[in-house]
Amino acid sequence: MTISNNSTIELRGVSKSYQRGKSKVPIFDELTMTIEDGDFVAIMGPSGSGKSTILNLIGGIDTIDAGAISVGGTVLGNMNESALTRWRSNHVGFVFQFYNLMPMLSAAENVELPLLLTSLSRSERKKRVETILEIVGLTERARHLPSELSGGQQQRVGIARAVAADPQILLCDEPTGDLDRKSANEILELLQLLNTKLNKTIIMVTHDESSTAYAKRTLFLDKGRFIQQEMNQCA
Amino acid sequence: MTRLLRQSITLSAANIKSLHRRAWISMSMILSVALVVVVLLGFLSMANGFRKTLDATGAEDVVMITSRGSFGEAMSRLTTNQTHQIEEGPGLLRSASGDPVLSAELLVPVDALTMADGQTATLSLRGVGPNAMALRENLTIVAGKMFTAGSGEIIVGQRLSTKYRNMQIGDTITFGRSEWTVVGHFRANGSVFESEMMADRGVVQTLFERQNEVQSIRAQLAGVSDFEVFRAYVEDELDMGLSARTEKEYFAAQATNVSRIIVFLGWPLALVMAIGAAVGAMTTMYSSVSDRLTEIATVRAIGFSRTAAFIGTLFEAIVLTLIGCVIGVAIAKFGLEGFSASTRGGANTQLAFQLMLSVPIVVQATVLALFVGLVGGGLPAYRATRVPLRSAMTGRS
Repeated sequence: MTISNNSTIELRGVSKSYQRGKSKVPIFDELTMTIEDGDFVAIMGPSGSGKSTILNLIGGIDTIDAGAISVGGTVLGNMNESALTRWRSNHVGFVFQFYNLMPMLSAAENVELPLLLTSLSRSERKKRVETILEIVGLTERARHLPSELSGGQQQRVGIARAVAADPQILLCDEPTGDLDRKSANEILELLQLLNTKLNKTIIMVTHDESSTAYAKRTLFLDKGRFIQQEMNQCA
Repeated sequence: MTRLLRQSITLSAANIKSLHRRAWISMSMILSVALVVVVLLGFLSMANGFRKTLDATGAEDVVMITSRGSFGEAMSRLTTNQTHQIEEGPGLLRSASGDPVLSAELLVPVDALTMADGQTATLSLRGVGPNAMALRENLTIVAGKMFTAGSGEIIVGQRLSTKYRNMQIGDTITFGRSEWTVVGHFRANGSVFESEMMADRGVVQTLFERQNEVQSIRAQLAGVSDFEVFRAYVEDELDMGLSARTEKEYFAAQATNVSRIIVFLGWPLALVMAIGAAVGAMTTMYSSVSDRLTEIATVRAIGFSRTAAFIGTLFEAIVLTLIGCVIGVAIAKFGLEGFSASTRGGANTQLAFQLMLSVPIVVQATVLALFVGLVGGGLPAYRATRVPLRSAMTGRS
């Protein structure tokens, strides 16, 4: 099923609930939203409002009960498990609150992970990793293990890993939630740079209101519905 | 290199690199596999050593005559008339005087005291004829001298001399009411004879009141090809309830029976332990998957396949298993191989042999260890493919 090719991401009448014990807890009921190509959207809302679930659904790591999600005209629900995994590796990069780096791999090896899924040769992968680490300012730390890096540096490695395979969409779940203010601002500036210079579509879930200033717009989610939208003039 | 292979190698290497986080539980898996391997190798090397000992004993051109239906010499009885008939058989090697080269023998169980704790053990004293040495090419006197016919002298197998009291040259040893002087130690290429003592048959018959009693006859064939003619004479023509087998056949049959019993005891025990080890391995690997939950979910979210996650976990299980296997083989090699054991031989006597490893039994133990790894790692590896990807969003790596 194809909904439209005009926008990057479209959610149409999406419903989602989770089973908790014997009862079903609804998260969304017929949620509809559109995120244009190159947009930078911050999503805010109280705990349990479904912010992270939206990222999971768009990223294809969770499934919907009803409705449809399309990304660039591709309907996620039509793909089987392995097709979805391949699609994810080509189109989506994830940035996690706790970085989720492989602790036994160096920064460079962590960044290389998504490139192992491509047809790039070893030398091409090495070159790409060097370039990305340079962009995030961690050339000198390439051989360091995550445990030898600060929180901010680890998150920059996480972002480098997310963009290594050059996906169009970055899904960021509380990317600054574990960082001090200064490091958080550096990460947000980096995300903003990726959005403005490389035209990446970024969807960022956050609790931190000041973080939203870096996005182009902010959506407020409550009880499974968008209750408010703010456009950010500065971004 | 295919993408799946690259993913699998990366995840396998990452799992191995993170083993230190699960050091103790991984160690327990390694040790349980090692224990299974040691137990199995212990039994198999025992059976192997026993078989090798008996294999080294027999000659193809020496024929052994016992009563038909007797499992070993101990149950056999030959009459004087039978002995005379056998001496007339065709195909036997004869001396210049026309006498066959044979040795009518008698096996008597005697008690000796162990060197270590003075416990009583039953050994074999073999009364032999003058041709006994000629019929046992591998038997050599390594210290002292051969006993003198008609005397109360005795020679002792080298293995016994180190394990039992009063068996040094010059010692006097008493069996029941008979008293013997040890005059020599002999070696017999590791064969069962090294577990025996030998003396003159006539003296043994007299001192143990077994006049005219003979249990077996060993006879030298003129050639290996003469065996069939001789066998047909003894078993068919004489029709006196006798059995003729080459010495090699005789000991091979004994080896097969006993080593089969050892193997039949060893395998079930090892299998039960292997099942226990597999359950332990499963616990270890489930713990590994649990420990790496966020990592697995993260790489799966990035785009790594379920198959790579499966292979990565199974690889870890196999590596731990193989480490355990290598340790087990090393313990068996350096701790068990060469260890002297003994079992009941003919006449309820001790038969000493050494535990011996061999490539086939090490391969068997390795296959069992891999079975533990595959069973123990299989289900957790499958679990790794079912890790909910949402875990990547919520977990800390």
